[in-house]
Amino acid sequence: MAKKVFWGVALASIVIMLSACGGSKDKLYLYNWTYYIPDDVIEDFEKEFKVDVIVDAYSSNEEMYSKLVAGGSGYDLVVPSGDYVSIMIDESLLEPIDLAMVPNLRNVDPSAIARIGFDPGNKYSVPFMMGAAGVSVNTTRASGYEHSWDIFSKPEFKGRMTMLDDMREVLGAALKYLGYSVNDVDPAHLEEARLVVESWKPNLVKFDAEAFAKGFAGGEFWVVQGYAENVYLEYDEARWGEIDFFFPREGVPMYLDSFCILKGAKNADTAYDFINYMLRPDIAARVSDYLMLPSPNVPARALMTEKPNYSFADLAAGEFKEDLGQEGLALYNEIWRRIRVGN
Amino acid sequence: MKRGPGSLYAAPSILWLSVFFIAPLFIIVIYSFLTSGPRGGVIWRFTLDAYRAIINPTFAKVTLSTIVVALGSTVVTLLIALPCGYFMARSQKQNVLLLLVIIPFWTNFLIRIYAWIAILGNEGFLNDLLRALGLANDSIRFLYNRWAVALVLVYSYLPYAILPLFSTIDKFDFSLLEAARDLGASKLGAIWRVLLPNIKGGVLTAFLFTFIPIFGAYAVPLLVGGTESYMLGNLIADELTKARNWPLASAISLVITLVTTLGVLLLLRANGTSVLGGGRVENEVGLIAEPAIAEPLVAEPLVAEPAIANGNGT
Repeated sequence: MAKKVFWGVALASIVIMLSACGGSKDKLYLYNWTYYIPDDVIEDFEKEFKVDVIVDAYSSNEEMYSKLVAGGSGYDLVVPSGDYVSIMIDESLLEPIDLAMVPNLRNVDPSAIARIGFDPGNKYSVPFMMGAAGVSVNTTRASGYEHSWDIFSKPEFKGRMTMLDDMREVLGAALKYLGYSVNDVDPAHLEEARLVVESWKPNLVKFDAEAFAKGFAGGEFWVVQGYAENVYLEYDEARWGEIDFFFPREGVPMYLDSFCILKGAKNADTAYDFINYMLRPDIAARVSDYLMLPSPNVPARALMTEKPNYSFADLAAGEFKEDLGQEGLALYNEIWRRIRVGN
Repeated sequence: MKRGPGSLYAAPSILWLSVFFIAPLFIIVIYSFLTSGPRGGVIWRFTLDAYRAIINPTFAKVTLSTIVVALGSTVVTLLIALPCGYFMARSQKQNVLLLLVIIPFWTNFLIRIYAWIAILGNEGFLNDLLRALGLANDSIRFLYNRWAVALVLVYSYLPYAILPLFSTIDKFDFSLLEAARDLGASKLGAIWRVLLPNIKGGVLTAFLFTFIPIFGAYAVPLLVGGTESYMLGNLIADELTKARNWPLASAISLVITLVTTLGVLLLLRANGTSVLGGGRVENEVGLIAEPAIAEPLVAEPLVAEPAIANGNGT
C-alpha cells in the first residue's frame, strides 16, 4: 500500500515537472487571489500572446505575504491589497513599474487612483479591482433594521448573524461605527472598538470567512458580513431579490487590489503584457461581469452585461485599509486575540 | 552476535523521519527562540519573547478548553470504539465490518465535515425531520458550539480508535472469558477484570491515536465551532498566518509537542512498556512511533488552511 502511494506520488511529481518544463514558450508565474480572474480570460491571454501562464492561488494577503517571505519565490506577478503594497514596498519585494509599459492605465478611474495613499503615483503598483465587504441580509427572514453596523447589536437576530474572521474587517467596522478611522491605532479608541465588538459577539454565531456564504444561502444565517461576490455566487440566482446587500452608513474598510511585479521577476515583459491586457476595457468588463462588481475601468463599464452588486457611489463613506505599522499591528493582534479567545 | 541487514532496511524510514520530522521539528525549536520579523518571518536574534508571550491568561484559557474538548471527545470515542472492536472481533463477517470502518476514508475529510453541517444546520436534515415529526416548531441550534465540535471530532477519529482496539481484541483468547465465567465472574465482571487488562495496550494505542490529532484539531472547530470554540490549532494558525508571529506560533506548537510527548511517556510507563529497552513487542511499534505522529498533526493548520479558506477575492 505505502509503496503504491509512493510510486503514485513520484509519478505525479514527474508529470507535473514535465508539464512545467514542456515547450519553449514564454511563461508567466502569476500568484493570484482564488476565483478572481476567470480561467477563460487567462486562456485567451495565453492564446493571444503565445505564452504559458502558471497560476497559484492564495486566499488572504497574509498567506501570500508569508509565502513570499518564506522564500516561495519564482512568481512574477502578485495582486496584493493596498496595505500589503506598502508593506511590500517597504520590504523592497517589488520591482518599480515602468508606466510607459502600461498604457491602458489611462482606462482606470482617476477618482479611484486619487484615493491611493499606499503608493502615490503608482511607482510600484497598477490598480486592478476595488471594493469592500458589506452586510448581506436575507429579507425574507429579517426586517426592521437600518443600514448601520448597529444591526449586529440587535438581539432579535441573535444566533443568525456572522462576521468575518478578519480583525481588520471586524475592528474596522467597530471603529467606523464609533466614527474613527479604519486605520486608527490609538489604544483608547481600539479599546472602545473592542467593547463594541464584545457587545456584538453574543449575537453572533461565529466569526467566519470560509463558510458564511453557504450558510447564508442555505437560510442558516440571516445577516452576514462579507464580500458581495461570495454571497451572490452561493445564493440561488432566482432569489437574488431577497438579498439586501449594503454598506453601513458609518462607512466600511475598503480594499484596492493592484498588480505588482516581484523583485527579480524573470518574465517581467510578459507580466507587463498581462497587466496591460487585464486593463483592456473588454477584459476588465469580463472580470467585473464574472465577479458582478463595479469596474474601476471606465470604458469597461459600458461593456458590462451584468449589473454589479453595488456601485462606487455606495462606497463614498468607505476608507482604504492602510498598513498599521508594526506596533499598530501588534495592538490589533492583541485585541483580536482577546476577542477570539474570550475573557 | 552478527548484525543482520535490519539497519539497512530501516534506512529509508530513518531518512524519511529525519527529513520530514526531525528537521522540521528542529526548525520549529530554533524559530521559537528567534525574534519575530516586523511582518512575519524571523530575525536571527535570540530572544525568549515568544515564551514570555505564552505566559498569558489567554493562552492558558485556550489550552484548558482544548484539553477539555480533546479529552472529552477521546473518552467518548473510546467508549463507542470498545464495543465496536469487540463485536468485530467476535463477528463472522470481519472483512465486511472492517471495510465499513474504512469506507468513510474514501471521502475527503472536509466534505465529511460539510456533510455534518448539512445534517445539523438550522435548515438541515435533522431539523427538517424534527419539524416534520412535530417535535420542534422553529429549529434547534445543533451547530456552532463545542458540542458540535466534539461530535464531529468523535465521528472523524472513531476509526482510528476502532482499528487498534479490534486488532488487539482479535488476538485475545476468548476462552479466558469463559474460564472467568466458570469461576464465578459476572459477564461484566469478566470483561472488566479479564478482557480489559489484557487489551490495555490496544486501549492505550487507541487513546493516543485519537487524543493527539484531536488536540491539534484545526478544521473542525473552524467549520462547525462557534464564537467560543477556539482551539490551540486555530490559535497556531492565526498566529502564523494572520498575526504573523512565527516564533510565537512555533513556541505554542512546541509546547503542545512537549506536553503530548510527556503524556505519552507517562502513559507508556504506567502501562509498563519501556521506551528504550525491549518491552513488550506487541504494541511497541505503534506506541513508539506515536510521538512522531504528533508533530505533523500539530503542524496540520499549515496544510489545511489554503485548502478551505477563501477570502476577499472569492
